[in-house]
Amino acid sequence: MSNIHFKTATDYIRRAPFQALSAVFILSLTFFVATLVSILVYSSSKVINYFETRPQVIAFLKSDAKEEEVATLQHKFSQDIRIKDVKYVSREEALSIYKKATSDNPLLGELVSPSSFPASLEFSASDLSFAQEIIDEVKKEEIVDSVGFTAAIGGESSLKDVVGRLRTITSYVRIGGGVFTGILALTSFFVLLITISMRIATRREEVEILNLIGATKKFIRSPIILEALIYSVVGVILGWSLAFIGILYSAPGVVSYFGDIPVLPKDSLTLLTLFGIILVSELLLGVVLSLSGTFLAISRVKKMR
Amino acid sequence: MDKTSPALVKFEGVTKKFGNVTALEKNSFEVAKGEFVFITGPSGSGKTTILKLILGEIIPSAGVIHVDGVNVGLLKPDDLPLFRQKIGTVFQDFKILNERTVRENVEVALAVIGLPTDSWEDRVKNVLKLVGLTGQIDLFPSQLSGGELQRVSLARALVVNPKILLADEPTGNLDWDTSDEIMDLFEKINKEGKTIIMATHNKEIVKKLKKRIIHIENGKIE
Repeated sequence: MSNIHFKTATDYIRRAPFQALSAVFILSLTFFVATLVSILVYSSSKVINYFETRPQVIAFLKSDAKEEEVATLQHKFSQDIRIKDVKYVSREEALSIYKKATSDNPLLGELVSPSSFPASLEFSASDLSFAQEIIDEVKKEEIVDSVGFTAAIGGESSLKDVVGRLRTITSYVRIGGGVFTGILALTSFFVLLITISMRIATRREEVEILNLIGATKKFIRSPIILEALIYSVVGVILGWSLAFIGILYSAPGVVSYFGDIPVLPKDSLTLLTLFGIILVSELLLGVVLSLSGTFLAISRVKKMR
Repeated sequence: MDKTSPALVKFEGVTKKFGNVTALEKNSFEVAKGEFVFITGPSGSGKTTILKLILGEIIPSAGVIHVDGVNVGLLKPDDLPLFRQKIGTVFQDFKILNERTVRENVEVALAVIGLPTDSWEDRVKNVLKLVGLTGQIDLFPSQLSGGELQRVSLARALVVNPKILLADEPTGNLDWDTSDEIMDLFEKINKEGKTIIMATHNKEIVKKLKKRIIHIENGKIE
């Protein structure tokens, strides 16, 4: 039975290929952009997460700080729910980090000794919004000489600015991407609506015959719904595939550019899972688009009659 | 009319008005199971209105219509498809799906009644053999003559084994020889027990077949 509906739907598509092409093209474009926006939203959230979880604050200790005082301060930090991953870095470890960082110029490493570097307590904030108040509090500690932060985008002078900048970028990605995808989705909806309305109009005689021989509403509507579903599924698969291929192609360059920041999953399984989730979500959205477009078209034609 | 057979179609004081125009006025008649009845009368007399009322396409303004025991006027819109599946229809303009082959035009009726596809082949072949279209099974309507198109229409109506066959001027677009062949086919189908109600103004056909006639003039049965 469903074969006859599928055949009818594909016959309609063959009879009006340009209508079908325009519907598939706009749907592909919508889901291509939707896939890119989804990846951007994922990447931006990973960037924020990266800055939130890596050690962001370094409290450089005075050279005369005693071990007990350092241990007390470290314990105090560990008890603070706003602070996590507290780590003590000795002068020797600081020198080692410096040498590693300047390994391409060994001369720089030879010019310094452990006494050149202060010991420090490194930690991160459980939420970046706490960072500035923590820094202000840590600065008041007696054994703390100065406080620095490791995150900096575009030369911000405080961690608050870094957080602000990150949140702004993320909001732009989410809101801008969402609005753009929404506009495209709305355009797709209207193209589907017009295509299906035209299809119903050209089928008027056929619908009349089917009514006379006792066809149910479901029987008459099934090919139209199937046709809209075919447009959506083909549009989703094409748009998603193009975005997937594009991202796979550019992934090595992007990953190496961002270095430690995990803008894209580094293992294939996580990457495929991410794209799988996007595909399933888009297929669901495509089904909703096609069904709502079809039912609206049918109800409009019924009203006109 | 065969008085021993129960009435398959029963009109009781049926009136149909379209706005201020009265198409049918207080008409009563019965058609028994297995009967072949002609509805005759000039154009605009109300022949097609009677067929549309039987099919539930329109509802009576007054009176009651029973078809196979069902009060057509009380049918809900959702019940109409199932009701219509019991009635085969043949029209003057054939009402064939032009984008479908002969086979597909007949199969669509089987799909409508929800018959499993594995039983389609035999049914389609048998009915096309009955109407003499075995050789044209895979042709499209544009490749067929008027007579052949009417045979396709008849095959589509018969393939679902309807209780009643309604025919609205089935020979209206056909020449005399082709009309004669189509009427022979209707007579053959009736002899096999099918109830047929045919609206026509073709007096030659009515004379030749010698069946019961319901004559209607200005919306009233005479």
